[in-house]
Amino acid sequence: MTLPSRFQPSPGSIIDFPPEASCFQIEGLGLSYSGKPALRGLSLRVPRHRVTAFIGPSGCGKSTLLRALNRLHDLNEEVSYEGKIRLEGEDIHAPEVAVDELRRRVGMVFQVPNPFPMSIYDNVAFGLRLQGGLTRRRMDDIVEWALNAAALWDEVKDRLRASAWSLSGGQQQRLVIARSLAVRPEVLLLDEPASALDPISTLKIEELIRSLKSQLTLILVTHNMQQAARVSDYTAFLQDGELVEYAPTDTLFTNPSLRRTENYITGRMA
Amino acid sequence: MIEPSPVSSSPRRAWRRQRDRLATALIMAGGIGVIGAVLAIGVFLVWEVLPALLGGVLEPSQIRTTLTPMAWGTLKAAFWAMAFAKPLALGAAIHSSLFMSQRLRSRMKPTLEMMEAFPGVVIGFVAGLLLAPWVERHLAGSLALLLVLPLGVLLAAEAWRRLPAAGRRHLPLTWAGLWLMPWLALLTWLTLAFSPGVESLLFGGNLREWLDAELGIDYATRNAMIVGLAMGIAVMPSVYALAEDALSGVPSRLGEGAHALGATRWQTLWRVVLPAAAPGIFAAVMIGAGRAVGETMIVLMASGNTAVMSLSPLEGMRTMAAGIAVELPEAVPGSEAYLLLLLAALLLFLFTFLVNTLAEVVRSRLRRRYRWLGGSP
Amino acid sequence: MRRRRPLPRSEGPWAWLAAGSVALSLLMLTALLLLIAVRGLAHFWPATVVQIEMQDGRLLAGQAVRELPLEEGHGNERLYFTGNRDLDGEIWHWLPVDAIASVERPPELTVLERRHHGRFIGRLIAVGDAGTIDGNHAQQAVWTRLEARLAALEQLRGERERLRREVLRPLIRRLDANPNDADAQLALVEANARVYDLQLAMRGEVALLESVDGRRLRQPLEEVLRAWRPNAMSLPQKLAAWAGGVWRFLAEGPRDGNTAGGVWPAIFGTVLMVLLMSLLVTPFGVLAAVYLNEVAHQGRWTNLVRIAVRNLAGVPSIVYGVFGLGVFVYGIGSSLDEWFFSDSLPSPTFGTGGLLWASLTLALLTLPVVIVATEEGLARIPVEQREGALALGATRFETLARVVLPMAVPAMLTGVILAVARAAGEVAPLLLVGVAKLAPQVPVDGEFPFLHLERKFMHLGYHIYDTAFHGSDVQAAMPLVFASALLLVLVILVLNLTAIFLRHHFRVRHGVQPRP
Repeated sequence: MTLPSRFQPSPGSIIDFPPEASCFQIEGLGLSYSGKPALRGLSLRVPRHRVTAFIGPSGCGKSTLLRALNRLHDLNEEVSYEGKIRLEGEDIHAPEVAVDELRRRVGMVFQVPNPFPMSIYDNVAFGLRLQGGLTRRRMDDIVEWALNAAALWDEVKDRLRASAWSLSGGQQQRLVIARSLAVRPEVLLLDEPASALDPISTLKIEELIRSLKSQLTLILVTHNMQQAARVSDYTAFLQDGELVEYAPTDTLFTNPSLRRTENYITGRMA
Repeated sequence: MIEPSPVSSSPRRAWRRQRDRLATALIMAGGIGVIGAVLAIGVFLVWEVLPALLGGVLEPSQIRTTLTPMAWGTLKAAFWAMAFAKPLALGAAIHSSLFMSQRLRSRMKPTLEMMEAFPGVVIGFVAGLLLAPWVERHLAGSLALLLVLPLGVLLAAEAWRRLPAAGRRHLPLTWAGLWLMPWLALLTWLTLAFSPGVESLLFGGNLREWLDAELGIDYATRNAMIVGLAMGIAVMPSVYALAEDALSGVPSRLGEGAHALGATRWQTLWRVVLPAAAPGIFAAVMIGAGRAVGETMIVLMASGNTAVMSLSPLEGMRTMAAGIAVELPEAVPGSEAYLLLLLAALLLFLFTFLVNTLAEVVRSRLRRRYRWLGGSP
Repeated sequence: MRRRRPLPRSEGPWAWLAAGSVALSLLMLTALLLLIAVRGLAHFWPATVVQIEMQDGRLLAGQAVRELPLEEGHGNERLYFTGNRDLDGEIWHWLPVDAIASVERPPELTVLERRHHGRFIGRLIAVGDAGTIDGNHAQQAVWTRLEARLAALEQLRGERERLRREVLRPLIRRLDANPNDADAQLALVEANARVYDLQLAMRGEVALLESVDGRRLRQPLEEVLRAWRPNAMSLPQKLAAWAGGVWRFLAEGPRDGNTAGGVWPAIFGTVLMVLLMSLLVTPFGVLAAVYLNEVAHQGRWTNLVRIAVRNLAGVPSIVYGVFGLGVFVYGIGSSLDEWFFSDSLPSPTFGTGGLLWASLTLALLTLPVVIVATEEGLARIPVEQREGALALGATRFETLARVVLPMAVPAMLTGVILAVARAAGEVAPLLLVGVAKLAPQVPVDGEFPFLHLERKFMHLGYHIYDTAFHGSDVQAAMPLVFASALLLVLVILVLNLTAIFLRHHFRVRHGVQPRP
């Protein structure tokens, strides 16, 4: 697949996954907030069943990119797009795409844990109830499965009816991940999921992310380069709304091909 | 462990989307409808009055003779209400936002704010049936109170200054709002106890007759002063609450800067805090005046409802709100009297709406400025 | 260097004046509340009755009410409530204090609360059949007998009421439905006879009374509601009597041109109207707030509308009353009458003030309160909560219904309670749209459709206004007005406290969420 030349990022920054191995294909994505551009000419492919990290200085557009992937920007009327985002070959902005179904397929975990003010069980069952058509037993089973998958079951199995807000911050974040897993997304977007947590909880979340990639594709935004290096398989470095370099994590951190990338990862930012 | 299968049948998905669209449309229709109904008040008044005004059903001379006394009464009542409410409310707001102890303030503020909901009919009843005859009997004492109470406070301040440090610690300024109360109550009692003697010494025993004979001032039992006092009590809490918000919203950095230069708290207030909060205080006074203009029951019960046009605070008046309440039920729809009263209602509506909009604009500007200055919004 | 400057010892006069205005405001508010509370509650206390002998030999019995200086010069005069309207033609006496020779408190002085002519104050001589009564009995025995007879009468009255309620009315309704129901007719005749017997049993006995100056009076006992001897009562007895008085005030209807009895219909009317109003205002207020905050395009226009709605909360209530009268009563009401109730024209059904129009007007008046409170609650819900729901595949409506609105419930409740508190105290618009001085029929009864929206109703606030300013005997009605005022103030204060508590609770609950 060839890209229009003017969207071609700088040489050395593209990794060519065959389309059939990639889950998201972003082509020439531009995005602006009420006329002010936040992303420019961004093209990359996200490999399936891998962890991909977006890194970059604050304001570089990494979170904006992440939120574009499940159309969370739709809430804001001042956002306009250009270019294409394909999920499994399907344009996510096509008129026949239902945004709620897209968001079910592309789950998201936010920086601040945001459990709903309900019980732990109801939080996990929230998405399932929206979909409907489940028996009580089946619902129980799926909730248990999701909490297990998020490595939280053993900690909460005795108090599923307790308020989700009674959990600690790290537990809340894993609960939110369990909640997303329960609706069987194909992709999970993680927007700095550990930045508000203590080191031990961070470690648990990172383990969890690594263990989940056998089941789905994960995209992680982080400002913590060590975290990106520890967790991800591929890393994209963004700056000023542009993709600078995109490479296997080992390559990017040990042998970046561009001076800009090197400056950033070694902490020599202007 | 059971792997859930990806979910949701497509008919259900379609139904959910349908429901979303329907609900959004319904909320939109309902919301617009409700807001329309609320805003319809102004439209209705204009709709009824305007054709009559333009079509010449209402003659200007008639409007003048009917509405001028009522408009005069309205302004007079509002003026006296604000004359009582403003110093009290602003003084209280200044004290509680700058001097008062946090513990007392956190209790006093909700208490005073709750008084906002004190029903006007009760205040009007107490003012009209108890306060008015009482003041009439104790006219000299009541007037003397206006002078004695502020002087008494100053006396207390002077006494406090001369107190040894230990005594001052027991009666801190931060709690003055409470410990001055018994002192003021005592002063009130003393004034009332001594006023008959002074009255007989100076005014031949009866100030009311003396006023009538010497100065030619008429005294009506239910007069503008009573209305002002009653309405002042009714309006005071809301002015206080808004002014307090404006004052305590001033970013503390500003005040601290002045303190660091050695200013007393009062100097800080006067030079720094008050100018910063002035628009908010202005808005508070405007909103208070708007309430005073429209208050019906207090005026109805405490003003005597006589359509006299006089400057004297010791005579009664009739306000537009009270006039509408008394006359509209008897007016035949479509008649001149009816249209005139509707015109009065329209004037009230326009006045309060404009005043409130102005105050709202001022307040929102002020909030933005505070945010810009780095205070809490 | 600055440290060495002596600290100012005081803040100067203005700071003290500011403190003084706090003290004065609190003092005035306390005085107002105390005045209402004391005067409102004292009315029910069985006050001491004194027997006064004047210097000219006149004898009087009554309760001291207040004392004022005499118009011309020295000394005071005192107002006594002396009752006995049927004997004296008036119930108040102003007596110069100097002219009073002696004041005594004989324990046998009796006060009777009567259905007509108000209270009697004097001595009880005898109780017995109208024909054979005589005056030679021991005081204590007579009093015991009176108490027993009154209790028996009370029971008979209760029995009569029960018959009317449980037997007569259902029978009449059955006959209305089917006039040829022979069984029902028979039963009706029988029940009527029983009621008649009860009436007869109540009649016939009289109390022989004597005022302190010796005039005698035969008082039919069935007219007597209660009797007490305040000077002979112990403190617990007085407390019990006081509690009973408060209860009767809350539970009974007004008597004697609103100067006696209770305010039950007014309480009922106020509560019913406020209830109807909140049923109207809650869904519509929430709907408008949700529209403004969640659905509408957030632009200049929405902001303008928001400010306008906010400012409508400051428009005087009388203007809402004018709107209610012009649009609801004269506009919609008259049309309804023409279409559906044309047979009863020209006497209007909906074309005059009534419960429905009053509730609607007040709902409109309080809509801004609910809208503003709900909007604030909606705006305070963190955006992460909405995004969390959306990211799980919820539609906008599902996010709203399952996450946002449940979290905003306390804010809505706060708004509704504030609206109720405002509506409960609002009288001015009601003057125009349907309140009544005395409404014999409560707007709810057993007749279809049970809730009569077109009827006029009584209202506590209006009751205060009307009784105090248009009553026949303001002096006599004053204590009851104070009691009504106290009730109204208490209701509103409790409502406001609930709202403050809820708001606090809401803030705490949302602040408590751990933000590590």
